[in-house]
Order: sequence, then C-alpha cells, then structure tokens
Amino acid sequence: MRMLSIKKAPMVIVALCCAAVSLPALAAEYLLTVTRPNNLHIVDPAKRAIVRTINLPGDGIPGAIAVPKDAKTAYVLTNRMESVVGVDLDSGKPVFRADFSTPQRRVKGFFAVAVSEDGKELYVHQAPVQLGRSEYKVEDTYIAVFDTADGMTAKPRRTFPAPRRISLMAATGKPDHLIALGWDMYLFNTKTGKLEQTFPVRHWNRPGIGEPDVLAMWGTFEQARALSTPYFVAKTDVPPDSPEAFKAGIAVFDLDSETLKVKEFENATTAMFSSVVSPVARNEAFLVMNQLTKVDTDTGKLLKRKDLEQTFYAINISGDGKEIYVGGALDKIAIYDADSFEKKGEIQMPGGADQSIGWMRVVKR
Amino acid sequence: MKPETIKHTRRHLRIAGAVALVLGMAGTTPAVAAQDPGREVIDKKCASCHLEDGKLTRIPEVRKTPEGWDMTVVRMGIWHKVELTPDERRAVVKYLADRQGLAPSEAAAFRFLTERRPNMQDAPPDEEMAQMCGRCHSYGRVALQRRDEDEWRKLMHTHLGQFPSAEYSALGRDRNWWEIARDKMPGRLAEMYPKNTDAWRDWSRAKHRPAAGRWIVAGERPGWGAYTGTMTVTAKGSDRYEVGYELHFGPGNTVRGKGESLVYTGYEWRGTAQLGNEQTQSIFALSEDGARMSGRWFLRKADEIGATFEAVRADKAAKNALVSVSPQMLRAGETATVTVAGAGLDAKLDLGSGVEVVEWLGKSAEQLKVRVKVAADAAPGVRKVAVGGRASDKSVAVYRQIDSLRVEPAFGIARVGGGTNPPVTAQFDAVAFLDGADGKPGTDDDVRLGSVPAKWSTEPFDERAKHDEDLKFAGHMEPHGQFLPSFAGPNPNRRGLNNVGNLSVVATVADGERSLNAKGQLVVTVQRWNPTPLR
Ligand code: HEC
Ligand code: HEC
Repeated sequence: MRMLSIKKAPMVIVALCCAAVSLPALAAEYLLTVTRPNNLHIVDPAKRAIVRTINLPGDGIPGAIAVPKDAKTAYVLTNRMESVVGVDLDSGKPVFRADFSTPQRRVKGFFAVAVSEDGKELYVHQAPVQLGRSEYKVEDTYIAVFDTADGMTAKPRRTFPAPRRISLMAATGKPDHLIALGWDMYLFNTKTGKLEQTFPVRHWNRPGIGEPDVLAMWGTFEQARALSTPYFVAKTDVPPDSPEAFKAGIAVFDLDSETLKVKEFENATTAMFSSVVSPVARNEAFLVMNQLTKVDTDTGKLLKRKDLEQTFYAINISGDGKEIYVGGALDKIAIYDADSFEKKGEIQMPGGADQSIGWMRVVKR
Repeated sequence: MKPETIKHTRRHLRIAGAVALVLGMAGTTPAVAAQDPGREVIDKKCASCHLEDGKLTRIPEVRKTPEGWDMTVVRMGIWHKVELTPDERRAVVKYLADRQGLAPSEAAAFRFLTERRPNMQDAPPDEEMAQMCGRCHSYGRVALQRRDEDEWRKLMHTHLGQFPSAEYSALGRDRNWWEIARDKMPGRLAEMYPKNTDAWRDWSRAKHRPAAGRWIVAGERPGWGAYTGTMTVTAKGSDRYEVGYELHFGPGNTVRGKGESLVYTGYEWRGTAQLGNEQTQSIFALSEDGARMSGRWFLRKADEIGATFEAVRADKAAKNALVSVSPQMLRAGETATVTVAGAGLDAKLDLGSGVEVVEWLGKSAEQLKVRVKVAADAAPGVRKVAVGGRASDKSVAVYRQIDSLRVEPAFGIARVGGGTNPPVTAQFDAVAFLDGADGKPGTDDDVRLGSVPAKWSTEPFDERAKHDEDLKFAGHMEPHGQFLPSFAGPNPNRRGLNNVGNLSVVATVADGERSLNAKGQLVVTVQRWNPTPLR
C-alpha cells in the first residue's frame, strides 16, 4: 500500500485493502473516475466515498478509461492524450505504459481506447504528425494494437488503417471484433485489420433526415453491454423554422448482437453529452449534461427529465439499474434514483479537482 | 584550418549565401545585406531549422503583413523555443515585412482587421471558407497572407498537426475536415491569395515616399466626435520617425501628443504616441503615391477605444487636398459655420446646390471657414464638396429632418474583465439617416447624414435577459455611448451565469421638437484569453 496516495476516508481504505484480497466473490461495484492533474479514483458508490486515489505517471489530463472483464487493471489515456498508462487497481502500481509519441512524431489518441475482454490486447486509435525540422506532416490515422504484457515500454505489436475522427471504441462480444464510432460505426477484425462492416450513421441516408451531429467522447457500455451516444439531427422535410426541424436522438450499439439502433426522441432544445443504457430495462437510456433525461429507445418517448444543479459530462448506472451516476466536468459525482430522479448522494473529488473530460466506468470486484 | 572549422565556415557561408539569394530581393548584395540586423537574426536564429541543402525553407515562401510576421515569429518562440531579444524580434519582422509583405491593394480589403476595428464584420467569400477557416480566428487572418498551393498545404499540416481536435470539434466533425483542408483548400487559397502577383512585383520594385513632413489630419472618435489637426513627422533613421500631434476636438478640447513610428513595406505605418494623457497606438497606411494616410488609432490597453484617422500631406505639391468638412449635416433653411480642412486649399468653395457661402470667416491654405445659408427649399441629399474648382471625395448632406436613426454597430460585443484581462468595452454611435428616394427607412437608398449626439440607455434584449436580470449584472452605459462591462468570475447571486448578458442599447436623439430612437444589440460575454494583433 506504500504507493497509494490516500487522500480521503482512510478507514474505508483500510477496510477495502484487506477485503480486496478475498473480495471477488462479493462482486461489489466500484466507480472509476479521473481528475486533473493526473489522478485515478476508485469510488465506492454504496459508501458514497473514494476508497483509493492512484496518482498516474505522465502529464495529465486523464480522459478515457478502459478496463478488461477481470477489472484488475485500468488503462487510462493521459499525458496530453499521448500515452496510455495501465495501473493495477489493487496495488495502485503502474504495470503498463505505452508512449505514442517520439521527438520526431507526435501521436495522439482521441478517447478511442479499448481493451479486449480477456485483457490481453489494448487498442488505440492514433492520429500522428511528423514533426520535421521546419515542417509538420499529418499522417493517416490507424488503430494500434498493444500487448498488455509488454509492460512499461510497450510499442504497438501491429497496426491497421482506420478512418479519421474516431472517438469511441469497444471490444464486442465476438472474438477479435472491435467497434469504432466515428462518422459511421466501423466493425474491425483486430487480427486481420479488416473493416468487416460499416454501420452508417453520418451516411445513413434516411429520408427526411439529415446527417447527425455526434460528439461521442464518453464510453459507458459495460453494464448493458451497449455502447450509446446522443446525437442531434436536422429534419429536412419540415420548414427550417419549425420546432420539428432539429431533433435529438440516441444511437445504441449492442455489443453482443452487433446491431445498431437509432431513435429520435424529442425536438432538440437542450444539449446532452453522454448516455448509458439500463442493464435491466434495455429499452431505457439515460442522458446527461445540464439535465438528467430518461428515454425509451424503442418508442422514442421522453420518459423523464430533471434540471441538475450543475453540468455533468459523464454518466453511468448501477448493475441493478437503480442508481444513476453523473460525473465529469467539475469536481463531483452525483447519484440519482433511476426512477424518481431524486438525488441520493454525492461524492466530492479530493481537493476540488475537476474530472473535466474524464470518463466514469463501473467495475465489478 | 582544422576540418571541423572548415566545415563550420562552409556552413556559415552557405547560410549567408542562401539568405542573400532568397531574401535579398531588393537587389541587395550579400555584403550590404549582411549589415541588416534582420538578416543577421535569420542567419543566427532561424537557419538552424530552416536551412536545407543551402536553401532557406518556409521563410521565403510566404508574404504577410507586419502583424502576420510578428505572430509567426512569436510562434517560433512558443512552439519551437526560438529565443529572440525584443530587438531581434523587431529587426526580423521589419526585414521580412519589407521584403515579403503585401502590396497596398492586397491588404486593402481587410484593413478593418489590421486596424482592429471593434465589432467588425469578417468577410469570408463563402460558407465553406467561413466554416473551414473562419471559426477559430477571423477569415481576414487568412486573407492577409500570400502563398503558393504547396505552402498553403503546409500550413494545413501545421494546423491539424498542432490542433488535432480541429476535426473533432463543431464544424470539424460534421465533414471530412482534414481531407478538405489538405486537398481542396490549398488550391482555392492559392488562387485567391497567390504568392506571385503583379501588384506585389510592382510595389516591391517601386521607390516609396518617406512619411516625413507636415500632415493635415482629421477623424472621428466615437463618443468624442470629430477632430481636425496636424501631425508633424520627422525622420529618425530609415523608415523610423518622430511624430508630434495636435488634434482639435472642438472648442476648448485640443489634445497634443508626441510619439514614434515605423513604416513597414513602404506604407504600413505603426506608431505609438502619448496623446493628452492617453497611451495610444496607430495603424495607418500611406497611399500608394504617399500623399495621403488613413487608418485608426486606439488606446494601447483597450484597442476597441479609438478614432478614425485621415491625413493629407501639407507640402508645396498639395493642391486642394481635403481631409474633412464639418459639420457634414446642414439643415435646410438655417445658417451654419462650415470648416474645411486640407492642404493647399484655394479660397474657392462650392458646397453644392442650395448651400450658399454668405461670409468668409477664415482663409488659409489649410483651413477654410465660412458662414453658409441653406435655402429653405434646398433638396435634401448629399452634395460633393469642391475646392478651388476641384471635386473632392468629401460631401455635405442637406436635410429637413432626420428621417431615421441607427445604432452602430447594430450588434456589439463587450467582454467582462478579470485577472490580468481588462474588460473590453463597447462603443456605440447614433447615426442619422434620410429615407432616400423610396421614402422608407432601412433600405439601401437611405442617405447617411452622420453621427449625432444621443442619450443612451440599456434594456433587456429579451424575456430571458429580463428574467436573468442581465441589466443589473452585466455592466453600465456611460453618457457618451460606451458600455463598461462588469468583472468576470462567478457571481454568487447568479447561478452559473457570471456577469454576462444580452442587452438592447437604445439611443435617443432630439431633432427639433421630435425625438427619435434606435436600438442595437449588445452581448456581454466572457473574456478572450489570447488577444492577438490579428484576430
Ligand atoms: C527549432 C526549430 C526552428 C527555428 C529555430 C525556427 N523555426 Fe520556423 N518553423 C519551425 C517549424 C517546425 C515550423 C513548422 C511548424 C510551424 O509552422 O510552426 C516552422 C515554420 C515556419 C514558418 C512557416 C509558417 C507559416 O505557415 O507561415 C515561418 C515563416 C518560419 N518558421 C519562420 C521562422 C523564423 C523567421 C525563424 C527565426 C526567427 C524561425 N522560423 C526559426 C521550426 C523552427
Ligand atoms: C481549429 C481552429 C482553427 C481552424 C479551423 C483554422 N485555424 Fe488557422 N490558426 C489557428 C490558430 C490557433 C492559429 C495561430 C497559430 C499561432 O499560434 O501562430 C492559426 C493561424 C493561422 C494563420 C497564420 C499563421 C502564420 O504563421 O502566419 C493562417 C494564415 C491561418 N491560420 C489560416 C487558416 C486557414 C486557411 C484555415 C482553413 C483551412 C484555418 N486557418 C483554420 C486555428 C485555426
């Protein structure tokens, strides 16, 4: 435990540390989130408390968090989006590090970081630029595959081309399959690098509906095994000044069946940044920014909405579907009842540090 | 010589030769050019990265304004750790702006940007250009550069290489931003803004008149009104001047000042001066023949507060060169005192039909002052002013009544201050119009009469602003039409809103017995974090 920087509720940490060794059978849920400048926090939502803070190596600001099924290691995109650092959640020790950039070549990953279900491979969508002596040269993007056993100086084992502007990725339920969300959704085979299928989003060609605007930067798909994102889209078959002219919708990709569903649910009046699908009522999704919103993704009905006390970027849900967690942006995770939308609690980040664009994942231990 | 030294010397010669070759466009020999401190900077501080096979890379391939060059040189410092002393920075910017600048005709369309006019309207040629290139900075920043296609493309690589989020942010993620920037924009840009032009070839070959001499000047400072005066410019070295000002804003309000200036590219005047108790900066352009100057001066710490500026050279060659006529509005049936300022003026004045000179109050080569009688039946409208039988570009307008009023700018932006950022104020002006031939206000044929004194007030712009009490928090209006915004930072009385606001600015003007009013919109918004000389 020497490595851990214990910042809050030391009693709880002691309890967790001792329990952790023999814990898996209990299958409790923990939240992982990150704050500026470069910390990863393990949060016990039941206790409404941070149980461990792990200081990540490198420059911040931490963003995407990828966790394999066994939830032993968390892989965090950090270091100005130029590194992924893997830390052991029990010891807090860094066990993996891939620095993408070299002095001659700057390489960034824009949130699209995923790990295979077995935890053996890490996938990062990379955008490189050659830094010449007096000239920059932007190169094509690709997905780099890392072996997580490669330790602290990991280099890509292989790469395969991928469209630009991908912002989210997740391993699907099928072996070697990776879904990537950019302009459209691309299903790759990670062994062959082949683009096996494209699910059109921007190019969906739906009559009376334009190209959607998707800002999918927060990956939360572990509970319902469904990767989802809000989108906004113009209706082209109504006058531009009609209230119907601009719609909000949600796209849901089922990671096991590898199917994409899109549904508009209201006239767009408010921004929503991220969404999560309920693991118990799979037709229900929750969205967040300045409000908490619940929609039916089958009927396209807006089920519930509540103004929140502040802006939140990231959202997640408990495994029993009863609690909604909202975080990101500022220095707080708030917990809401998924039915009544009543606030049930909150967890303050240590030192008032902002979670900013960071993700919030749920792990089961 | 030891091999090491030889290599060194060779390398040095190669650098010197290449620099002379590429930058010594004005026919300077290496020996002469070597004495230019700007050349020395390139040699010592730039060549380490920019010399390839004996040739300079990048630097010779672009033409920009002095501000454009300065921003690039500053970027070399921030991004690539090129450390320059203030003298080295000035020298290299001067050197490059002189040899690789824009011809006056090339810079003309975007002078409003160079002059930092507040609330300016950017002018992209189309929607695609506006969205691709005018969303992070002004489009004018683009239009004030000249490059070939290849060099425009390199700039696109610099952009996405340095700002990789460009393709993820709004107006980037909705299109194949990079493919458009790489494959389409460079060709379009090179067509509109090519490196080699006749205008530049001619300008860079021509000899330009130094700015030294006496100038008759005039202009208008919103909130203060019109001024006329003199500017005395004394050479202090090549392109370097000492300047004295005397500006008359009206009876009893004379502002005197002293300053310095540097002229780039043969016509781009950049000066500083203390005028009265204000520290100011001037951005003027000499006309191609060097007989006139125009531009804007403003407060050094608040570039939104300033005045227009026009000048004519008062030398022997000047012949009936007008710089201002005031007042510009004459009411039918009344008498008025009209002053004409300029150089080489003959005492022969024609103010157009229905405006009769009834008495001469002053006759000098630099000022004509007359009493005029405007006929009761004089037709409302604009008349060109002629002096000494020569028509000028100045005019006076006759009116019976002010038909309509406009607030300018119609849409203004002010920014709250805070930290080390002072607030950015917004200055409004009330401008009187005639309806024109169609008898309707707000149409293209309206006749602009000029600025008129007004009473100023503010109102919430809409229901939301009213509900949020923007009026109470955003700031306040000064009597002369200047809005002073509040300070930034969370205001505990306003959940999540800080001190921003959306207001209507109302000008009320008395025209005889009548009272007219007009509205503009003012958005008070957050601070701008990186003020740059070219937005
Ligand atoms: C340490 C290396 C280095 C030094 C020294 C250096 N530069 Fe650069 N310069 C670069 C790089 C890298 C680029 C391309 C990226 C960019 O535009 O910033 C560049 C680009 C440029 C460009 C093209 C920019 C454009 O698109 O308009 C100009 C012009 C330039 N440099 C001028 C200078 C000048 C003048 C100096 C000396 C005062 C200088 N550089 C010194 C590295 C350097
Ligand atoms: C994502 C924001 C963004 C977009 C979009 C953008 N720019 Fe820029 N541009 C910048 C920034 C920031 C700088 C200032 C760089 C620096 O620090 O010197 C800049 C600088 C420039 C300069 C001055 C560079 C120099 O060294 O002289 C030019 C010219 C320019 N941009 C052209 C363009 C063009 C052409 C486009 C459209 C294809 C474009 N920009 C789109 C952000 C943007």
